[in-house]
Amino acid sequence: MTAGLAHAGGGWLPRPLRVLFADEVKRLGFLMSLPAQLLLLFIVVFPLLMQIYVSLTYWGPLDGESWIYAYKSLNPFENYGELFADGRFWASIARTMLIVVVSVPIEFLLGLGLATLFVDRFPGRRIFYSILLTPMMIVPAVAGYMFFMLFQSNGPINDLLGRLTGLQVDFVWLSDPDLAIVAVMIADIWQWTPLMFLILLAGMMGVPEDQLKAATLLGANSWQRFWRIVLPKMKMVMIIAAVIRVVECFKIFDLLAVMTKGGPGVETETLSYYIYKLTFADLEWAYVAALGLFVLIALSLLAWAALLRLQIAQRRAETQPGA
Amino acid sequence: MTSRPVFFFVRYGLILLALVIVLIPTVWMGTMAFKPFPEWTTATGDLTWLPKEATWGNFEYIFTGQTEDLLVTLDRTAERPILASLLTAVLGTAIAVIAGTLGAYSVSRFKIGNNLPLSVLQLRLFPPLAVMIPVMIMWASLGMVDTWWGLSLIYGIVTLPFAFWLMKTFFDDVPIEIEEAALVEGCSRFRVFWKVTLPMVKAALASTCLFVFILNWSDYLIALLLTRKDWVTIPVYMNSLASAMGGQMYGCKAALGLIAAIPPVVLGIAIQKYLVRGLTFGALKQ
Repeated sequence: MTAGLAHAGGGWLPRPLRVLFADEVKRLGFLMSLPAQLLLLFIVVFPLLMQIYVSLTYWGPLDGESWIYAYKSLNPFENYGELFADGRFWASIARTMLIVVVSVPIEFLLGLGLATLFVDRFPGRRIFYSILLTPMMIVPAVAGYMFFMLFQSNGPINDLLGRLTGLQVDFVWLSDPDLAIVAVMIADIWQWTPLMFLILLAGMMGVPEDQLKAATLLGANSWQRFWRIVLPKMKMVMIIAAVIRVVECFKIFDLLAVMTKGGPGVETETLSYYIYKLTFADLEWAYVAALGLFVLIALSLLAWAALLRLQIAQRRAETQPGA
Repeated sequence: MTSRPVFFFVRYGLILLALVIVLIPTVWMGTMAFKPFPEWTTATGDLTWLPKEATWGNFEYIFTGQTEDLLVTLDRTAERPILASLLTAVLGTAIAVIAGTLGAYSVSRFKIGNNLPLSVLQLRLFPPLAVMIPVMIMWASLGMVDTWWGLSLIYGIVTLPFAFWLMKTFFDDVPIEIEEAALVEGCSRFRVFWKVTLPMVKAALASTCLFVFILNWSDYLIALLLTRKDWVTIPVYMNSLASAMGGQMYGCKAALGLIAAIPPVVLGIAIQKYLVRGLTFGALKQ
């Protein structure tokens, strides 16, 4: 039947395609994966080539010429050289990393703590669970605006702090060079702890109950059960949760675009925000292309190394019986 | 775990604390949306958590451009950004889910397109801004900047990874024997997909759509880069809302923020069951 179909419908196709289409499975698989492949081709291959090309020039949107003519200002790798001497770029990366290494572990620990409170059933569990998840569903730009309001010097956070301490509190959170980044971190933690909670709780619920019961029978207390059984069983889940958050947190933009606009000065200027400023305020698109490509390669290498390590760890786990 | 009374109180105490922290920002925005102009800041009075004289004025203002309290009128009202957000998020979802579902089925059943799982994931790895220059050039040269189709297309692409991975795990869960039975009956492979498998994952498909919609609706950055005036979405419009006389339009922005916040929260609760799976790209199933 399949051969007949190919004959009937594919006669006009070039030979390699006809061979491909002779088999029903191959034909259908090809056609079904085509839309996704085309979208990828459109957004990955094409733009990547363009980015490499533009990054080797001084082309900018104000040149009045199409990017095709960017070769007129060809400058092999000068943008890349400039990048290594760009203090603002490295500072923005350091700042991004600071936000990641402070926020993500706090989100992780808070999420883990909350998850332990939710492992077993108790009245109100479902409704509390739903409410605790809401922050991560709120549009990040809107969440940013919420915290923008909260952190005003005459806003509710200072008001609350004042009432709790009995002192006059007037921190200018968002324009204080030290506090602004803290405010951004707090907003990030507020919004994304629920994600950690959600994932870690799912992992915790997946720990086999019979093992916990067996441990109880053998006299393990809840502390021991948590450290010896629950946590080791959750290792993979914890890695997934942490990786997802680190990757997302590294991109942080929306929250601080609304809260601080990278300010005061450049105190909260993260990598994404620095690129944004370069693109729209300075219009140095060729330099941005080079910088973006550098980030892309660095992250790819990191991801590749991480994948490799994971595979090695998996292989080791497979060869060790009982591990 | 043992249910000693101490633990009982500690648990409820901690959960209550977490609830309060979670709710404070939301409640502040929620009540701010109903506060009249004099209650927006402490400049004109005391800070209150509940509006003293609740009003619909803020909503009236963002939709009609004028209200009693404020002298200035608004030249651009909120209907258009809301429409833009809705339309582009829906169309983007359609693109992502159609391409993702077809591709996922092909990979799951025929093992064709095996580059897709990792290739789509890499779309999520990089900060969008690092790769936006060529995209902006392309969108400009194709005349797609500030159009509904241009924004929908990019939304469809950036959420493709989620749609693909979610649907792949759902297809992987469908026992292959059912499809084999249909094949023996003489169905073509496409008919098997269309008439047998797809109806079986109908609920999952609907959840995937909602999940992807939430993601598209939540975007700020891409709309900021690829729209100018006609098709700005809610978050971009919201951030541009500043009065001509300077100063923040707290109440109006809060009203708009509330409108933006409600759909994803409601939909998110509706698809709670699949959130873990969606957010971990199918690595974890609840």
